[in-house]
Amino acid sequence: MIGRRKKALTATPDGVVAAERAPEIPAIAQRTVPRFGHGSRVPGWDDAVDLTKDPSEVPDPATTAVPAALRAEIEAHMAKYPDFHSAAIPALAAAQRHHGWCSPEAIEQAACVMRLTPGYLISVASFYDMLETQPVGRNRVYVCTNISCSLCGADALLERLQEETAGDPDFNVRAFECLGACDIAPMASVNDVYIGPITLDDVAPLVGQIREGLPPLPNKQLRRRKSTDPGARS
Amino acid sequence: MPRPEQETISFTIDGNEVHAPKGAMLVDAAKFGDVEIPVFCYEPKLGQPVGACRMCLVEIEGIPKLQTACSTPVRDGMVVNTITDRVKEAQNAIVEFLLINHPLDCPVCDKGGECPLQDISFGWGGGRSRFIEPKRHFVKPLALSPLIAIDRERCILCYRCVRFSQEIAEDYQLVLQERGAHTFVATFDGHPYVAPFSGNIIELCPVGALTSQPYRFRARPWDIEGSGSVCALCPAQCNVEFTVRDERVLRVLARDHDDVDDGWLCDKGRFAYQSVHVDQRVTNPLLRVDGELVPVGWDRALDAAAAALTAAGDATGAIAGGETTNEEGFLLAHVIRAGLGSANIDSRAGGTLPLELHAALHATALQATVPDLEFAHAVLVLDCEPVDDAPVLDLRIRKGVRRNDVKLAVATSRPSSLDPNAAAVARFAPGMAEAFCAALSCALGGSGVLEELAVAAGAGVDEVRALADVLSTAGDDVVIVYGERLTDGPRGEHAARGLLNVAGRLVAVDHDGSGLLELPAGTNGRGLREVGVLPNAGPGLTPVNDPGLDTAGIAAAAAAGRLQALYLLHADPLRDLPGRATWAAALAAGDTVIAHSALLTEGLWEHATVVFPAESYAEKEGTITHPDGRVQRLRPAIARPGQVRGEWQVLADLSRRLGHDPGILSGPMASKVLFDAIPFYAGLTLDAIGGRGVRWPAGPAATAWPKADTGPFGLETPPHAPTPNGVLRLGTFRSIWASPEVELSPALKFMHQHQRAELHPADAGRLGVAHGDRVTVGSDESRVRATVSLRAAVPEGSVFLETGISVESANALDGGLVEVAPE
Amino acid sequence: MSPTILFKDIDENGLNTIDVYRRRGGYEAMRKVLTQMTPEQVVDELMASGLRGRGGAGFPSGKKISFIPKVNVDKYLVCNADESEPGTFKDRELMQKSPHMLIEGIVIGAYAAGATKSFIYIRGEYVEQADILDAAIVEAQDAGFLGEDILGSGFGLSLVLHRGAGAYICGEETGLLDSLEGKRGNPRLKPPFPANQGLYQGPTVINNVETLATMPHIIQMGGAEYAKIGTETSAGTKLVSVSGNVQRPGNYEIELGVPSREIIYDLAGGPPEGREVKFWFPGGSSSPVLEAKDLDLPYDFNTLAEAGSMLGSGAIIVVDDSVPVVDVAMKLAKFYRHESCGKCTPCREGTNWTVTMLERIDDGLATPMDLDIMASVQEQIIGNCLCVLGDAMAMPIGSMVAKFRQEFEDHIEAARARNPFGGDAAPDPPPPLLQGAVGA
Repeated sequence: MIGRRKKALTATPDGVVAAERAPEIPAIAQRTVPRFGHGSRVPGWDDAVDLTKDPSEVPDPATTAVPAALRAEIEAHMAKYPDFHSAAIPALAAAQRHHGWCSPEAIEQAACVMRLTPGYLISVASFYDMLETQPVGRNRVYVCTNISCSLCGADALLERLQEETAGDPDFNVRAFECLGACDIAPMASVNDVYIGPITLDDVAPLVGQIREGLPPLPNKQLRRRKSTDPGARS
Repeated sequence: MPRPEQETISFTIDGNEVHAPKGAMLVDAAKFGDVEIPVFCYEPKLGQPVGACRMCLVEIEGIPKLQTACSTPVRDGMVVNTITDRVKEAQNAIVEFLLINHPLDCPVCDKGGECPLQDISFGWGGGRSRFIEPKRHFVKPLALSPLIAIDRERCILCYRCVRFSQEIAEDYQLVLQERGAHTFVATFDGHPYVAPFSGNIIELCPVGALTSQPYRFRARPWDIEGSGSVCALCPAQCNVEFTVRDERVLRVLARDHDDVDDGWLCDKGRFAYQSVHVDQRVTNPLLRVDGELVPVGWDRALDAAAAALTAAGDATGAIAGGETTNEEGFLLAHVIRAGLGSANIDSRAGGTLPLELHAALHATALQATVPDLEFAHAVLVLDCEPVDDAPVLDLRIRKGVRRNDVKLAVATSRPSSLDPNAAAVARFAPGMAEAFCAALSCALGGSGVLEELAVAAGAGVDEVRALADVLSTAGDDVVIVYGERLTDGPRGEHAARGLLNVAGRLVAVDHDGSGLLELPAGTNGRGLREVGVLPNAGPGLTPVNDPGLDTAGIAAAAAAGRLQALYLLHADPLRDLPGRATWAAALAAGDTVIAHSALLTEGLWEHATVVFPAESYAEKEGTITHPDGRVQRLRPAIARPGQVRGEWQVLADLSRRLGHDPGILSGPMASKVLFDAIPFYAGLTLDAIGGRGVRWPAGPAATAWPKADTGPFGLETPPHAPTPNGVLRLGTFRSIWASPEVELSPALKFMHQHQRAELHPADAGRLGVAHGDRVTVGSDESRVRATVSLRAAVPEGSVFLETGISVESANALDGGLVEVAPE
Repeated sequence: MSPTILFKDIDENGLNTIDVYRRRGGYEAMRKVLTQMTPEQVVDELMASGLRGRGGAGFPSGKKISFIPKVNVDKYLVCNADESEPGTFKDRELMQKSPHMLIEGIVIGAYAAGATKSFIYIRGEYVEQADILDAAIVEAQDAGFLGEDILGSGFGLSLVLHRGAGAYICGEETGLLDSLEGKRGNPRLKPPFPANQGLYQGPTVINNVETLATMPHIIQMGGAEYAKIGTETSAGTKLVSVSGNVQRPGNYEIELGVPSREIIYDLAGGPPEGREVKFWFPGGSSSPVLEAKDLDLPYDFNTLAEAGSMLGSGAIIVVDDSVPVVDVAMKLAKFYRHESCGKCTPCREGTNWTVTMLERIDDGLATPMDLDIMASVQEQIIGNCLCVLGDAMAMPIGSMVAKFRQEFEDHIEAARARNPFGGDAAPDPPPPLLQGAVGA
């Protein structure tokens, strides 16, 4: 047997290794649901169905209340495409904005408007990293930990950010795959604003700014950055 | 729509030249050269290949990369290799990958012994694994529904089950969640996967990840034997294979027949076999002695029945239920007509239809077949709900729409589960099919004023017009699927003529691929009419001089004391037939009620004087006739329990006692006599019918079907739909789950139906009731209690209730208008 | 110095607005195409330019459009802006700073392909860029450059910006199509190819942002003129994203065929003081790694392919000599495991297996023999998958194991030395008995 396994086997697709590497799991995430080190969710492998529930069919408008604003937004998305199914991701994103995450209620509402089963939408929602199928804090801090950023110290940055926000339910600090901003490595997307390079000293002021609703690290925002190409500066 | 034509090409596989149909996928084409290419995800029944499992990689000359044989159509001159080292390495690799996280708990796995993963690992695997990390383990097994257990450790993510749910049943409840190595099969938010066809995923699963809860650990493949027959629980008559161990049916599997079921089964067909082996089965003849039903010997029961029938003479009425076979119906008619001189025999619930209309509606030139549903240009679903009336046809209609772009038109009173697939949908008031047919035929260019007819039908003019538009512009091949209920009631014959007028405008006579397809109320509804279980027709639809009473007439006459004996063959009027109050009176008033039944349902328990134990469908031999004219053969899979005798034998014995020996000593003899007596069955033999059935309308004897005028007919002005003024129009339906077999099968107990009143939210608002409230529905004479179920799709002004259920069934109500009031 | 085409004046204030863009001559190429050229002429011009797809595969762009069947059905153009390949960030800069260049390219490409509906599939993380594009699309619509009957030419085009939601696999063109159709982003079997049956089963041309943004310039310069830039088989300029251990990470527009050393050292400043290049990914994390000795290779499609790697998306990731190769392999493998869609067996299981093997190496539980298994697993993945994601992990990992075998072995030995108790721990407690747990 190979393991000097210290923990009982946890039933995760990562199996033993995920359990062994427990210290890598962000503290913040442990508080809600255990997460894999790399931001992926612990899936419902061990979940049986609840036999007292009714089967989940297309929600009937007669018994499903949908906020008017959400309905209007989803219907507008549906109208944009030749096939309304294309609006699945925009509809889920809208439902997530309204509900904070893709809760069962949010998905049922989106499914009711789109005349799809909630199963269709959870299948889509759980495929994409940005659609949250578990409750999360409202401040999204995605820290890129892919190769280029980690070569520039992203793992330490993630750790510091998680320490700094530990215990704060308003924060959703998670490792993310390459965010497409390796020129400002190590970087993070803070409520959709790209900032970098972030030094460890930036972390405390950054978290403060997020808490107060101020623009995060204004001088390090990507949108202000000029091109590095000498040819572009003609 | 023309069916794809088959052209043969030749290609080379593993050095041998092989002929195969053009366009076939290599996996299938290889079989023509006796080469098996292993697959997991490929299943042609599920539609386009997905190429996910990568098990079928083969080498094709001229293509550098290995190709998936499941998705590569064979071409003339192709050179394919499946046994080169390169292919073998790839196959070994895929098996190794698949087994990385497969628990290999075969000794305790239900699938062991009949498992494709076992077979393929043995046949194409490398026989070793270099994966020394611990495997993943999960809690197992878990419930996926009361019928299905899921074992996610064993799942190899072949996509079959979710493809079934999404692309075949289209219930879209079973989905994949998460992605990559985390992907798993599940439902939304822990809801159970309960749907009419969910059981098919058990059969599709190539590993032991999805297992049948009722079958789990009941048998190993070497303990069992398979026995082919036909499911007799509904008119769809799917071909099945019973899994039998020690004279018990333990499982029902599909026996693929493209012309009948396309290889699928509904959950009733798959799990209601349990009702065969319940304690409630009647296994002894019973006789009512001093008010109690007591077991007696056959002779005593037969003598008592013969004596009572002799005494009643022509004051006898007989009802044959839908599960009656052709032979039994034929013999019953013989007993009633020849033995007793009575003509009071019926197998339809809805009244007498003139013979020429029977002949016209099923004229061979107008007869559509099941595959026509898939290849037509347009299908009209008229006054029926396929998923309830003949479930497997629902899948066939969906398949046509999805794969062949069939234009579907739905015209029903109650919202249909096919509505989302339809190109046009029209609603009409319950029971107003006559006016609707008149309106539709008018919109298709017939006579009348469309606005008036549509209003009479309670339908929207624009909807009718849109429906007509879809049907008339789709193409030549139009199939009309209609429910028997369309021709029910006192005005049934007018509705039938209206239907024929619609057909006359849409269906080209004698044109293959189009026509009418009736969904009878009973399993063998069509066959029973053909063998003469009608008040106005003898065997082969021959006219009788003095027509007898129909079902409603028998009830009324018996209730009024004009009939002394009632003969109920596989029928319990209190459960199955409308007019519950009249029937209750009829059963109470009759001196003698003779019943053939496997189960003592309430009407029999209280009123039967003689009960003959009946065979279950797994024990029967005989023939039944599919709605499209296919005569199919029931074959006994297990021995009869207790004292049960074949119904043909009981009826023959009874007939003999009544002085009219039909000379039948065995089941096959009964079939022979039947085939000889029915002109259009001439030439049929049990051998010819075999396991696949024979469609007589396509045979040489079809010319013997009586000629009839198929229209167009001049129509009377149809009556107007009642105005729901403060009250509501009552519509009824019988769900797939409403049957004693379902109620008695332990696995299906959870399906037990409680009466629900389906209402539009606006009506509910006006009545001051909310979703889930308890209400009573009915009039002063009778009421049923129900729970309010709000549905936005229910037309305003109507309420829908279920019939055929054991309590609070809607057959207690007379139809028309009803009040809905909070309880 | 190389000619600057795409990045010319890229930092000009307000370039993202239609006024500034037009003042600089924007939308003139579109006008020329719509008023003076037939679709065939546009395709010919693109063919003549030698433009190859800038997204990763490097397929000739004109040829791709010419595959679209000339049938009378709805055709689609989809711009692949799901820039997710680790190390790649060139499209981001283009979309953010010059969105109208992309829109103009889309109109030109759609006109050439006969497409009347177009979509930009942008990765969900690029929120700022998507907002800028949305605003630009509205401007273009208001100016009559999108919509029906553009410039009175009779040609109409709708453009919808579709935001993804975070999945690398949606950068694969068929995965992108499924995702755009509102499904899970699973790649599809090919054939049928998107040119015949793509979005909504209609003929579809899918191009990268940079490819489309180059099209207006090709029209303005003339294809033949454009083909003079770069090498014979790799024409034109290329945006290269340089990142990792370099002093000036960023996007650089280079002429294809310049020595790689020039890009990494002269433009991006090379590794930090005192460090050497240990190895580098020439075309994103999916490209097999090259070593320091390969730095003088000309940076173009064919040379890199001959060197056993690829130009890919033009993302150079430089790794210096302070970084253990095993760590990079681990990052890479975990990334691909996370991003595998799970549809096909070798990729789903192979990426997972590779990660567990690397973790075992890290934990000191492996032997050098495991490296052979790892290499063999990569071999079993390559070419056996439904799409190229599996290969995208297997090729670089395979190349690392092959090129840095000694370092892997040293790592294994060092880890074993750190973990003297490996394999001697107490056995695991047995899992609970679960038979009959159905419904529990």
